[in-house]
Amino acid sequence: MGKDFCVLFKKDCRMLVSGKFFLMAVGFLALYTVYVNLGYIRFMQMPPYNVYLYDPAGTQTEKSSLVQVVPSMEAMDAALFSDANGVGLDASAGDVRVVLYKGAEHVDCHRADYALSLLRPFTGSAPEIIGTNTPEQKARKEITCELLFFELAAVGFLGIAAVLFKEKGMGVICVHAILPLRKELFLLSKLAVFLLSDLAFAVPLTLLNVGVTDGAAILPAVLLQTTILSLIMALVGLLCALLLKDFRQFTLAYLMIAIFAATPVFLSANTSIKFDWIGYHPFYHVYMGLKNAYFGTDISPAYYAGAVGIIVLLFLMVRLAFQREIGKEG
Amino acid sequence: MIEVKNLTFSYGKDKQALHGLDFTVEDGEIFGFLGPNGSGKSTTQKILTGILRGHGGKVSLFGQDISAAHGQELFQKIGVLFEFPYLYANLSAVDNLNYFASFYPREQRRNVGELLDALEFKPDFLKKPVSSYSKGMRQRVSMARALVSNPRLLFLDEPTSGLDPSGAVLFRTIIEQERKKGTTVFVTTHNMVDADLLCDRVAFISNGNLVALDTPKRLKEKNSNHRVVIDYLYQGQRETKTIEAPELEAGIPFAHDEIISIHSKEPTLEDMFIQYTGRGLS
Repeated sequence: MGKDFCVLFKKDCRMLVSGKFFLMAVGFLALYTVYVNLGYIRFMQMPPYNVYLYDPAGTQTEKSSLVQVVPSMEAMDAALFSDANGVGLDASAGDVRVVLYKGAEHVDCHRADYALSLLRPFTGSAPEIIGTNTPEQKARKEITCELLFFELAAVGFLGIAAVLFKEKGMGVICVHAILPLRKELFLLSKLAVFLLSDLAFAVPLTLLNVGVTDGAAILPAVLLQTTILSLIMALVGLLCALLLKDFRQFTLAYLMIAIFAATPVFLSANTSIKFDWIGYHPFYHVYMGLKNAYFGTDISPAYYAGAVGIIVLLFLMVRLAFQREIGKEG
Repeated sequence: MIEVKNLTFSYGKDKQALHGLDFTVEDGEIFGFLGPNGSGKSTTQKILTGILRGHGGKVSLFGQDISAAHGQELFQKIGVLFEFPYLYANLSAVDNLNYFASFYPREQRRNVGELLDALEFKPDFLKKPVSSYSKGMRQRVSMARALVSNPRLLFLDEPTSGLDPSGAVLFRTIIEQERKKGTTVFVTTHNMVDADLLCDRVAFISNGNLVALDTPKRLKEKNSNHRVVIDYLYQGQRETKTIEAPELEAGIPFAHDEIISIHSKEPTLEDMFIQYTGRGLS
């Protein structure tokens, strides 16, 4: 059985190599790393709004270096015209007057308070920070978690389905039906290849984007969650590929999953939007499991029990669909 | 080798595909299974190869009930050539064959190179991916895949499909050689020439029923009208006459100057099939 598994595993690796899957994974890894380190983190470190000050008398002596002084009201108008989210401060008449080019109901007060706070940067009490992550660490962990989730849920899912559709198209599945091997091995070898490739992807992604020290500390928990998500997505991908007629139908199913499964999860987990029903959404729990792993938060044993149950159930469904597929061909 | 008793199979409530087939295939026999599309021959072959479960009646292979047979043991002894050449298109012929062969015990496997050589596979293509092969070359690799495990029972579905005439002759020779080694061959085909030249016995299946089973020769003889057609020259004119075959025993029973040809009016297997089932082999 072990020998048969190795033969299947080697063949699946060759299929992925010939399909440029590994090359694509390396490309995605490079792309994500460049995006996080050269784009996202820099963007997150930028001040939220540009603040422009017109102060002809020089009354604001304690202002922050983030404040940009303009020589005239015309210059301020021009700056706010081109930077609609910027905040103008007019100190020409003694009291400071806030000038906004474009209003937005929910954030105007926030923008005004922020701009005024830059004139007195050293006053007021500093808030108490709970947790050990610096803002940059937090941003790095959040974005790395999102990218890994996307990679496992979308790219890996598509990859395994593409391989199976290719084999369906070549008709070789029915040849395996008459080979002296346990049919489950055909499925298990695919799951193993994709799991290992996902784990191999998660390690450098985490270390390169979270940082080597921080990343190494959370890596075991991240890999455990990667295993759960990878197996679930690979099994869903196999099931779709076995049940659906062609890759076009699969693409449609994939869009449905992306829109209806992934979008509410991202919105609920990363924004202030909360859906009452999100607790019943299985992807939400898997995503939160991954996020908790990145932030070192404890995960309930009930979650692990549920994940194992879902993986076993999915595997049984895939096996049934595979038996049906074998009988259909040839 | 194969014993089928009252074999039934249904794809659904109202979709009965097989209505109680009975036949046996002896050791070392080449058995032809003929029928039009949708007649139930693929279903029968899938049941015999252990792909399709849930049949009624009794099917024994190698003296063992197929329902009770251990899948892996059974699959080690059989080789199957499917109707279409199912191969990994990104792998070469050699890689495909090595891959499929690796699931069988080493001592059972044949040498891939010798097998491809016997099938007159073009050596230039040995290392090229299957996607670059013609249909005939793919069929050769598929045949090699079916034979690589040295099976005792060989199932062949349209073995000469996609081959040119010399390729078809080669395949028939290879199948004969297999039989000489003691391999039992179960051939499903539409090709009457193959069935006639290769098979020791043929079975006709129509709408899930076995409508005839005998040697091709006997089937034709049974239904022959025992007439011969004679083309001849007489007084400078070419003429044709049909007479009863026994009339020839006393010589040509009419005046003639020269006999050009004598043909028996023996029916073909296809004629027989239409006679038994009322349907053509489409």
